[in-house]
Amino acid sequence: MAIQWSLVLFTVLTGIAGWMFAGVAFDSLRGKNQPKAFLAGLIALIVMAVGGIASVTHLSHPDRMLAALSHPTSGIFVEAVLVGLAGVCMIVFIILAKRGASAGAQKVFAVLGAIFGIVLSFMAGSSYMMSSTSTWNTVLLPIGYLCTSIPGGLGAYLAVVGAGDRDSARLLSIGTIVGGVLAAVASLAYVAVTGFPASAMAPLWAGCVLCGGVVPVVCGVMGMKTPERTATFGVVTLVGGLVGSACFRVIMWQVFALAAVGAPYITNFAAM
Amino acid sequence: MPSMTRNAIVIDLNRCIGCYSCEVACKQENNVALGEYWSKVLAVGPTGTHPHVEEYWLPTMCQQCEDAPCVHVCPTGASYRDPDTGVVLVNKELCIGCKYCMMACPYGVRSWNAAEKCVEKCTLCGQLTSQGELPACVKACCGEARFYGDLDDPESDASKLLASYDEADIHHLTDVGNRPVSAYVLSPRFAEWKSGD
Repeated sequence: MAIQWSLVLFTVLTGIAGWMFAGVAFDSLRGKNQPKAFLAGLIALIVMAVGGIASVTHLSHPDRMLAALSHPTSGIFVEAVLVGLAGVCMIVFIILAKRGASAGAQKVFAVLGAIFGIVLSFMAGSSYMMSSTSTWNTVLLPIGYLCTSIPGGLGAYLAVVGAGDRDSARLLSIGTIVGGVLAAVASLAYVAVTGFPASAMAPLWAGCVLCGGVVPVVCGVMGMKTPERTATFGVVTLVGGLVGSACFRVIMWQVFALAAVGAPYITNFAAM
Repeated sequence: MPSMTRNAIVIDLNRCIGCYSCEVACKQENNVALGEYWSKVLAVGPTGTHPHVEEYWLPTMCQQCEDAPCVHVCPTGASYRDPDTGVVLVNKELCIGCKYCMMACPYGVRSWNAAEKCVEKCTLCGQLTSQGELPACVKACCGEARFYGDLDDPESDASKLLASYDEADIHHLTDVGNRPVSAYVLSPRFAEWKSGD
């Protein structure tokens, strides 16, 4: 199976959007950075929407998508529902934020949207857990999807809100450090469990670890030391998270042809 | 799973000469596009060292899995099991082209129809079997190695072939929980089965 770039883009962007909105929810609960809540929520919504559209470009007959209602347990259906629920919560939140509605209502929709977004970053990976491919049929795969989404999402949020509230900036910088560590560990664990020599995919797992792990950790530390540059470090973390997240997903596609149960019988993977 | 007809193809590899007639007949009967296959013949081997060298041919196609992963992952129900024949089929009118079934199939025997932009696969030539005929690959097999029928019917050609062999001679492609129904016969005096059980 060749790399399905539409699906790579879909899972990278929706994962980052979900975790970016988690940053929105974090500050909403604490009542911090509220002047930036609308903008951050709007950007998260746009990223989520672009990710959702990317998934549609993977389909040859999206016009028939409503037929999915007849099979509501499939991975694609679950992902579509989560994108929809997260999107609705984001829309309601930004409307509430724009109109300065009650903080309680904002918190409710911020938290719900964050939950749906975070769950989506996991479920997008769990859809690939298939017995046909040993390297996909491991819970380390969705865990990797989830963890590699954290740095980019929190980095995106920090890039928007900057150092508006120093305490939030510090806590979220810690979040990018933890996220970077989790992303690197999850990526290495997945590469290890695939059973293939790390050298075979060195550039990719190096991308996961260096860009998706080390960069967010360094930026998080630097952000804590120089909070006035939080936005800059947020941008760098976002870029690193994007690259790391994409590399992890490309690894998943690369190991499919190597580990599929049917590999001995399949002669035309590239054409699939 | 409720009891239903288990139509499938059984292949006697002891008799398969690797002529690829089944591949050709399948493509001709079902108008399978150039470069795509619903039925593929793979050479297994040669293995061993001279003079103890062996090789056999492994024709592959949809294995009509009892617990078909392709049916489970299909978001629209386009991949389904026909309740009357028990055959796993694709309703092209419902296929959205997500290719999840191609990822889920343990044997890579699903094809992408670029013209119709949907997935397709071996149908056991339902257009022929519904009229009392045999699948094209079975009719075309010059080694008389392919047998079609309901494996729950002891009088079917496929069941009779399996009944004529010892259990040790009967094999299936690797089972990862999907329980492939299609079976292969290969006796040790011809070659050792190497495709997993």
